[in-house]
Amino acid sequence: MTEHLHDVVLPDNITEELLTSQHIDFIKKYGEEQNKFEYGMTDYLRLSGMYWGLTALELMNAGVTDTQDAIVEYIVKCQDPDSGGISACIDHDPHILHTLSGIQILAMFDKLDAIDIEGVVKYVQKLQQFDGSFSGDKWGEVDTRFSFCAVMILSILNRISAIKVQKAVKFVKSCKNFDGGFGSRPLAESHAGLTYCCVGFLSITKRFDVLDIDNLAWWLCERQNPSGGFNGRPEKLPDVCYSWWVLATLAMLGKLTWIDGAKLQTFIFACQDQETGGFSDRPKDVPDPFHTLFAVAALSLLDYENIQKVNPTYCMPQHVIDRLQLDPKILPS
Amino acid sequence: MHGRLKIKTTAQQKAEKELKQSNQLTQYKASMSQILLHRNCDPFDPVSFKICAGLLSTNPDIYTLWNYRKEVILREKHRYEESDPAAKEDGDVDLKAFDGLLEKEISLTEDCLRANPKSYSAWYHRYWVLMLHSQPNWQQEFALCTKYLSVDDRNFHCWDYRRQLVNRIGITLPVEIKFSTERINNNFSNYSSWHYRSTLIQLNEQCIEEELELVKNAVFTDPGDSSAWFYLKWVVTNPALGKETCQELLDTLEQLQELEPDCKWVLLAKGWLMKRLHVKDYAVELYTQLIHLDAMRKGLYRDLLQNCIENS
Repeated sequence: MTEHLHDVVLPDNITEELLTSQHIDFIKKYGEEQNKFEYGMTDYLRLSGMYWGLTALELMNAGVTDTQDAIVEYIVKCQDPDSGGISACIDHDPHILHTLSGIQILAMFDKLDAIDIEGVVKYVQKLQQFDGSFSGDKWGEVDTRFSFCAVMILSILNRISAIKVQKAVKFVKSCKNFDGGFGSRPLAESHAGLTYCCVGFLSITKRFDVLDIDNLAWWLCERQNPSGGFNGRPEKLPDVCYSWWVLATLAMLGKLTWIDGAKLQTFIFACQDQETGGFSDRPKDVPDPFHTLFAVAALSLLDYENIQKVNPTYCMPQHVIDRLQLDPKILPS
Repeated sequence: MHGRLKIKTTAQQKAEKELKQSNQLTQYKASMSQILLHRNCDPFDPVSFKICAGLLSTNPDIYTLWNYRKEVILREKHRYEESDPAAKEDGDVDLKAFDGLLEKEISLTEDCLRANPKSYSAWYHRYWVLMLHSQPNWQQEFALCTKYLSVDDRNFHCWDYRRQLVNRIGITLPVEIKFSTERINNNFSNYSSWHYRSTLIQLNEQCIEEELELVKNAVFTDPGDSSAWFYLKWVVTNPALGKETCQELLDTLEQLQELEPDCKWVLLAKGWLMKRLHVKDYAVELYTQLIHLDAMRKGLYRDLLQNCIENS
């Protein structure tokens, strides 16, 4: 039989434990080194970057307290007074992705009142298109990611009725494929990241009746490679961020037992940078806050010790979701 | 930071890199300030517009810069329309000069896509610009798409773009189905082609046998490749496929299993067929074998086994 190894070979000397204090240092340093190249060149995704870093810290029980006020003040400055949307950083344009990141951070800090909530609600409401889909900003790019952002934002603000939910569900349903997965738009190929967004959307709107659960969960568990890592589509290389997209979706569907948790954990550990802390997409690559959050959050779903429980729908600490009294649909395993 | 290998450097290399990066960062910040300062200039500031193009060519994900370009383009459109109000009323504006601006924009997005063929923003901007063009050359777009698919036949942005174009240039469904057959025969292992085909084919009694032949050919040629098996599942779980054909396929899979005793996909497919044919007492042996062959997913097979026992 021909072997099809679209996979990586794990290094020999994998540390079989989470290097928590190094990861905390990595994230904290990332936020402090404001004149560093990587930080400076990524201003166009700053608020999302802050959400990745701050959530990772909170999950590792190292949530920030001293800089909270400064962060809240920054987010307030990123809200556009005209549209109500939030931008990635000051002087950039509002976008639903960064509006979500801003809301998630404020919710974590219990500081939602700091911004103009009505403004945010109106912003999201206006982005809904006639067919129920959402554009990412006023320029009209449509994607199922934005449908998920919309219902996450509005549910956190307890204002989901501000949009046409049934129409929104109809659009997401129209993106379902022959394999049970979802793509970015109708007829677009299934992708584990976008499948997570659509299942997350259906978890918040409590519409799992749209799904072919067993077929989808099978497609998802087939994302696990012999190395233990998950890919996002068949015959692609594994990447640590899919540990989250796939695992969280399986968690919502109550099918975490369909994959090999121990092997996944080993793959995740292999993506740790032992020198600087932080996680990279694959072993020996350059680490960053994005992959660090999704690696840590995946370990939380695997019940790894001393990590806070994460909510699979919102990718936020469960205690925050409980405080907000949110109740996304999650099937028992 | 996807797929960027960490490289060991000496202290000197590190210092040189840091200096270079520090200059680059200062340059980036100055460029951004210049653009944001002149963002609302009317008529637009050509220097800022050019700097903006340079920044996007190296990083097409700076979304605010695309928005700036769209604002300039809309203002220019307005200006051309205003310059000939009579023609505007007739809906007959000579947009040649405006199209010239759009052409340059189209070529900018091509530069960006060469640097990053997976940039959502660059693909979207290209389409947005073409929609404003008085005579968009969709054929040329189609050729570009074909070219990009030949470089990376899994680029889903490209497949999505192709789908949008097919309708615009009036390509018929049979022609597109033929294209998907060619792509599949060219590379059985390309999941994107199988997906694309699933969006073109409506499984029914007329076509299902033909689909089965195509996918059977693929899985028998290379049973270890997962792509075609997902398509096979879609076909064999459809009620339009007759029981007789299911039985024939099951027999053929038995033969394949003799040749490929360790191929889990063959066993899985047998499971789908036996369920459809209401074969009794197959589950224990089949799923025990799968648990052994594919231990990572033993939880799945245990659940499937449990279901079979409960339903029998």
